[in-house]
Amino acid sequence: MMVAEAKPLAEIQGMIQGYRKILIAGCGTCVTVCLSGGAQQVEILAASLRTAGKQQGLAWEINEETQLRQCDPMFVQQIRDRTGEYDAVLSMACGAGVQTMAETLGDIPVLPALDTLFFGGADGQGGFVELCAACGQCILSRTGGVCPVARCAKGLTDGPCGGAQAGKCEVAKDTPCAWQLIYVRLLRLGQLHLLKESTPPKARRVHPARLVREG
Amino acid sequence: MIVNAVPPCQAACPIQMDVQGYVAAISRGDLQEADRIIRRTNPFPSVCGRICTRECEFVCRRGQKVDEPVAIRVLKRFAADRAESVVPCGPEKPYYEERIAVVGSGPAGLTAAHDLALLGYGVTVFEAEDELGGMMTRGIPGYRLPLEVVRKEIERILSLGVEARTSQVLGRDFTLHDLREEYQAVFLAMGSEKSFCPDCRGVDLSGVLTAVDFLKDISRGERPDPGEKVVVIGGGHTAIDVARTCLRLGAGEVSVVYRRTIDEMPAGMDQVEEAQEEGVAFRFVTAPVEFLGVKTVEKMRCVKMKVDKSCKGKGSLVCVEGSEFDIKVDSIILATGYGPRTEPVQELFDSLDGKVEIKDGSGATNMAGVFVGGDFLSGPTSVVQAIASGRTGADSIHRYLRSLAPVDTPEPVVLDDLDDQVAALVPRAQRRKIPALPVEERIKNFEEVELGYTLEEARAEAGRCLNCSAGAVVSYECASCLNCVLVCPYEVPRPGAERAEIDISQCQACGICAGQCPAAAIDLGLDPREKHREILREVLDRAGREAPGAFVLQFMCDFRQSRVPPSESGKAVYQVFRPGLGRMDVYELLAPFQAGAAAVQVAACRDQDCKFKDCAGWVRKNVKRAARVMDDLGLDPGQLSIVQE
Repeated sequence: MMVAEAKPLAEIQGMIQGYRKILIAGCGTCVTVCLSGGAQQVEILAASLRTAGKQQGLAWEINEETQLRQCDPMFVQQIRDRTGEYDAVLSMACGAGVQTMAETLGDIPVLPALDTLFFGGADGQGGFVELCAACGQCILSRTGGVCPVARCAKGLTDGPCGGAQAGKCEVAKDTPCAWQLIYVRLLRLGQLHLLKESTPPKARRVHPARLVREG
Repeated sequence: MIVNAVPPCQAACPIQMDVQGYVAAISRGDLQEADRIIRRTNPFPSVCGRICTRECEFVCRRGQKVDEPVAIRVLKRFAADRAESVVPCGPEKPYYEERIAVVGSGPAGLTAAHDLALLGYGVTVFEAEDELGGMMTRGIPGYRLPLEVVRKEIERILSLGVEARTSQVLGRDFTLHDLREEYQAVFLAMGSEKSFCPDCRGVDLSGVLTAVDFLKDISRGERPDPGEKVVVIGGGHTAIDVARTCLRLGAGEVSVVYRRTIDEMPAGMDQVEEAQEEGVAFRFVTAPVEFLGVKTVEKMRCVKMKVDKSCKGKGSLVCVEGSEFDIKVDSIILATGYGPRTEPVQELFDSLDGKVEIKDGSGATNMAGVFVGGDFLSGPTSVVQAIASGRTGADSIHRYLRSLAPVDTPEPVVLDDLDDQVAALVPRAQRRKIPALPVEERIKNFEEVELGYTLEEARAEAGRCLNCSAGAVVSYECASCLNCVLVCPYEVPRPGAERAEIDISQCQACGICAGQCPAAAIDLGLDPREKHREILREVLDRAGREAPGAFVLQFMCDFRQSRVPPSESGKAVYQVFRPGLGRMDVYELLAPFQAGAAAVQVAACRDQDCKFKDCAGWVRKNVKRAARVMDDLGLDPGQLSIVQE
């Protein structure tokens, strides 16, 4: 899933400064799960901006709407007719959602209320961690199910840098060293021999990637 | 997993009262609403609030697994006594042409009359005594059920247009045939007041009385002298009532003789305990053999009994040989079972087994338009059973007169038991003791013993209700984020196959998950989220009109006993109540500022006072989060605070 967090309110206020009638659009998928852009966050942002507008004497008219998934034009189409009356849409989706909405709505400015951070998963304690870099050439079969591309601060794919101490990364002391994790996992799996194999270099990705549905 | 079920208290109640509904209303101090909910199914709440056998309390999940059951009966009494009397709205004139006769004005007869009048029928009630009420006015002593309480309830029923004819005895003043000529349907609910006397020699001696006649005399204001030594024979409520009455009449030694053990007594244990406190002695597994005396009874010969458990049911009783002994007595009062007086309507009874012949559960007899109910049909039961029977009777008569098919009501699905691990996490709260007159004072007169709760006590006791089945429900909006699993203090939500699942049998309705659900996909049975939003909008609209920019909004908890300190700011204060403040979300804390509030105060409990586990902690977290947003907006976060008395 995509993990995102709300932008500072001041930045959002700055973005919508020149507009009067604004739609705050939430997304019911990844950003709901990571507590950043679901129905409840939409309500909170709307109340916050209305209060701020009142304080600053700005006549913002703010409405709210939450879509099931903003990164699909078919869902965005559902609200297209209603968005004509707005000066801007403030999207609480990830970058993919914001762009899909911008493209689908055409001539209305669609502004991001969130900063998209990473692809990741839940840590089981209410937080989220980056787990995948979407490199397009997965090597998890050789690394015990731990991705060094996403989880090594240096993105090393052929073994540790040597700077880790007590299993922690030298770049961020609260982050476990990905290669230490890989070693321990392979040890438990009885697959340490995999470390002797070198990883072939990855072909550099050309953006934007596409996935075309087979005909 | 059950998703929609009734709490056991409601399922156990013969009239399926919405217990959790009225208890929740009491906990928020809304006595009118509590009374309205109660009277939807029960026309005698002040009576049941005093003498109900409270099947509900025996199955209360708080009592089963946590500590003690909620004092449901006394709470009902509190609401019914304290709510302002509102006359029920029946049709001004009967809507239907058919007229119905009800014979017997006990709880069954009057309930049937009440329901039929509300349905739109003209009803006439015939009563053999000179006052309506049956055993409520002519059986239960005033120290347990004051006459004026019953009279008030009866007045409400009569105000629906029910006609009453007292001192009218079936078989003496009119016959069933007469009624069938004049009325289109007849409901017979003459009760079960014919005493069964034990087959003992000396039962005809002076000084040997039957309980029903004795209690009738007392209810008419007579104060006979039972003598110094009184023995009451029997183990039901009536036996206890008679024994306690005799103490009040000045008897020195009163004992209840019962042939089985204390555990098998049909009387409620609370009644037995109260009687013991007052000085009534009990002799169990003892039965009378013979009453001795010349003209007047002087002695009772008894024998000890033994229960032979090898037999089915309660086991059969056998006399212990050679265990006879005598007790000196001045009077003996027999409370040894009752049955209906069948003579006036002998045609309805099976000649073989002496039971009234009915077709089915509707109470319809083989005689068209004649229905039976209450203790007359079932033998002696409780007030609430009689009310249930009256309700069934009214419904059956309505269906008969309107040619409606009987409705096959499915058995309600009842909540599962509370899991031990969930029960262990529920904060303990002892049941409030029911205030009562001190023993030395109460045995001197017939004043009501139980005094009932004060408002504060009632709200606190009602707050102990676990709100069973009013818990969280997950909608299709669920994004499966599983935040509910992380935040629930009782560890109830689980990841399901399609979305998060919350077992309604285990949910404690604290609402914390609802307040933390990012998809706003969780709602609670007590009050839906949309209703809360609407109430908040209404209050803010009003505050914005009346005190623009200068009002204080206070969030209060329905279950909280302490109150906010008095406002010193001089600003107008508006309050919004929530059934637990843990279910609030950050939006609700910010919305008042959007409407121009000068301050928002949250009257949270202290951790140790809160009904819900961890609720106070979640309130603090929400306030902190909202304060951060305010800071970001350039507003003073100090405008948002938690206040405690």
